[in-house]
Amino acid sequence: MKLTAAVILALRSMTRRRFRTFLMMLGVTVGIGSLTLLNSVGEASKREAMKRFKNMIGTFDTIILRPGAGRTRGMVSLTNVPGTLKFEDAQAIQTNIPGVKQIAKLQNAFDIDIKYRDHADSTAIFGVSANWFELRGDDAAKGALFTDQDDRDLARVVVLGADVEARLFPGEDSLGKTIRIGDVPFQVQGILKSRGAGPGGGSLGDLILVPISTASKRLFNRDYATMMIVQLTDADSADAGVQAITSLLRDRHHLASTALDDFTITNPRAIAAQVTKLNSTLAKTLKGVAILAMLLGGVVIMALMLIGVSERRKEIGVRRAVGATRTDVLWQFATEAMLLSCAGGALGVAVALAGMGTAARAAGLSLQLNWQMLGVSLLLSVAIGLFFGFSPAWKASHVDPIVALRT
Amino acid sequence: MIQMSKVCKTYTRSGGAAIHALRDICLAIPDRDFVAIRGASGSGKSTLLNILGCLDVPTSGTYLLANEDVSHHSDRNLSRVRAGKIGFIFQSFNLLPGTTARENVELPMIYAKGRVNRRKALELLERVGLKDRAAHFAGELSGGQQQRVAIARALINDPPLILADEPTGNLDSAASLEVMEVLSELHEEGRTIVLVTHDDKVAGYAEREVWLHDGAIRSDVCHRCPTGPRFNAEVTP
Repeated sequence: MKLTAAVILALRSMTRRRFRTFLMMLGVTVGIGSLTLLNSVGEASKREAMKRFKNMIGTFDTIILRPGAGRTRGMVSLTNVPGTLKFEDAQAIQTNIPGVKQIAKLQNAFDIDIKYRDHADSTAIFGVSANWFELRGDDAAKGALFTDQDDRDLARVVVLGADVEARLFPGEDSLGKTIRIGDVPFQVQGILKSRGAGPGGGSLGDLILVPISTASKRLFNRDYATMMIVQLTDADSADAGVQAITSLLRDRHHLASTALDDFTITNPRAIAAQVTKLNSTLAKTLKGVAILAMLLGGVVIMALMLIGVSERRKEIGVRRAVGATRTDVLWQFATEAMLLSCAGGALGVAVALAGMGTAARAAGLSLQLNWQMLGVSLLLSVAIGLFFGFSPAWKASHVDPIVALRT
Repeated sequence: MIQMSKVCKTYTRSGGAAIHALRDICLAIPDRDFVAIRGASGSGKSTLLNILGCLDVPTSGTYLLANEDVSHHSDRNLSRVRAGKIGFIFQSFNLLPGTTARENVELPMIYAKGRVNRRKALELLERVGLKDRAAHFAGELSGGQQQRVAIARALINDPPLILADEPTGNLDSAASLEVMEVLSELHEEGRTIVLVTHDDKVAGYAEREVWLHDGAIRSDVCHRCPTGPRFNAEVTP
């Protein structure tokens, strides 16, 4: 029998028993619906976390170096910076370790008083090397970012975060204007393009960037970094890079073999994986419940179909008498089961879409339907139909038409 | 059309005792015959009809249907023969509930050809005088109408043989008349019809009466065969 014929027969039979059809679909609908919804909420939270993390780090193909020991996880700490990671260390890494493409350095201080005419304010000051922008993927919204030349010249130029510009120069053009950091005058050379929210949800635009040599010599009088970003020529060799840098730095810092590192090396890719890991007990439980609902839906399909086969013995007898083979009957019932659970699955996806709309409004997540998940849902539905529909279909195909017609 | 020779059907009871439902049935039904199979309850009518209708196979003997030996066919092949060569009409009509008249008529076509020909189904409904009932559900039709739908269903694949099991058993006399008129017309159009009946009036439409007794043919009488009586004697075992 052709597939179309089997589908026609199955559809005719399903529309004949609408309420039962609806009941049979329900379990699969709930299961597929909740699985799809949970999955897309999970995906969306993961994407959001990833985005925020990337906003802060800029790129994942790097190794991050920080002074001090023991901070192997979590976000970069910018306060209480120990002075163990010297600028010379960066120079040494660049010279001695093969496969290092470039190193960006950062030095910072918080709550520095700044002034423009009679506007006083305070914000975080970051001294950064010019390649910092490149590694983080930063751009200028207005004006220009500073260059290596600015750094070498100890130029007194700044790039303002958008928040700082808004506070110091309300309704005024900031480019070329002179602000004071502490007592040192700086010229505004550019405005940093906003990067959106950071991991904590806060703005990343409340800062002032200064060439790192200028910051080090004219402002902070420090020769150590808060953080360094090492970019490798081959991002996949990060593990080897981490090892080489570790042994070089331990050597340079004269650490005894029993001593702990006085610096911390992290691989953003590893952190990101950890931060965005969706492994909460709640999520697991919910998924378990959804799968259970789906299996329950399958059992309901099987039970109701077995009852249906008993009720439809005469119908089966007639079908056999007018020429249906056992296989035809088997296929008809199996197709019914599959269509049922497919329809249940499709309805579930529809319910999930509606749920996603609600969840998006409630949680402010941008939810999107994952096509892969959609395919998996539908395949799962077919599998449930086939699995739980097989036994009733088998029973139906073995109804003896002579006995069935006599009753 | 039908050549049965020495057909036996034996059932074995759970105790091991054998029941001989049919014994050495030799029956030839030429094309265009209209035969009534008669006999008391338990005489083997149903068993014979099941074998004639390829729902069952004989224990021994051979059965040729339209020159095809179906006595040893597999279930699948029997189904194919039923779909293509036999139209069934049942005592209790056996239309599928909740399905329209037209869909009922189309049913055998789905199994024989894997598709539906709506136009042909409607033509056949017109043929049995039920064109305006095509979209009615089986339950909305009277008994006589249901049986005429069943006749249309039996005709959809143009089978050479029509088998009717007590086609008027559940009908009042007016409806019986309608149904028998339709069957007579089909016979006049050249179809071979075999029916089982208790009713003398219904049997009177047939040209030939085959009486069964204890699983054997007791008499085979031809009333108005164009070729005259073929066999008319008490059969002695």
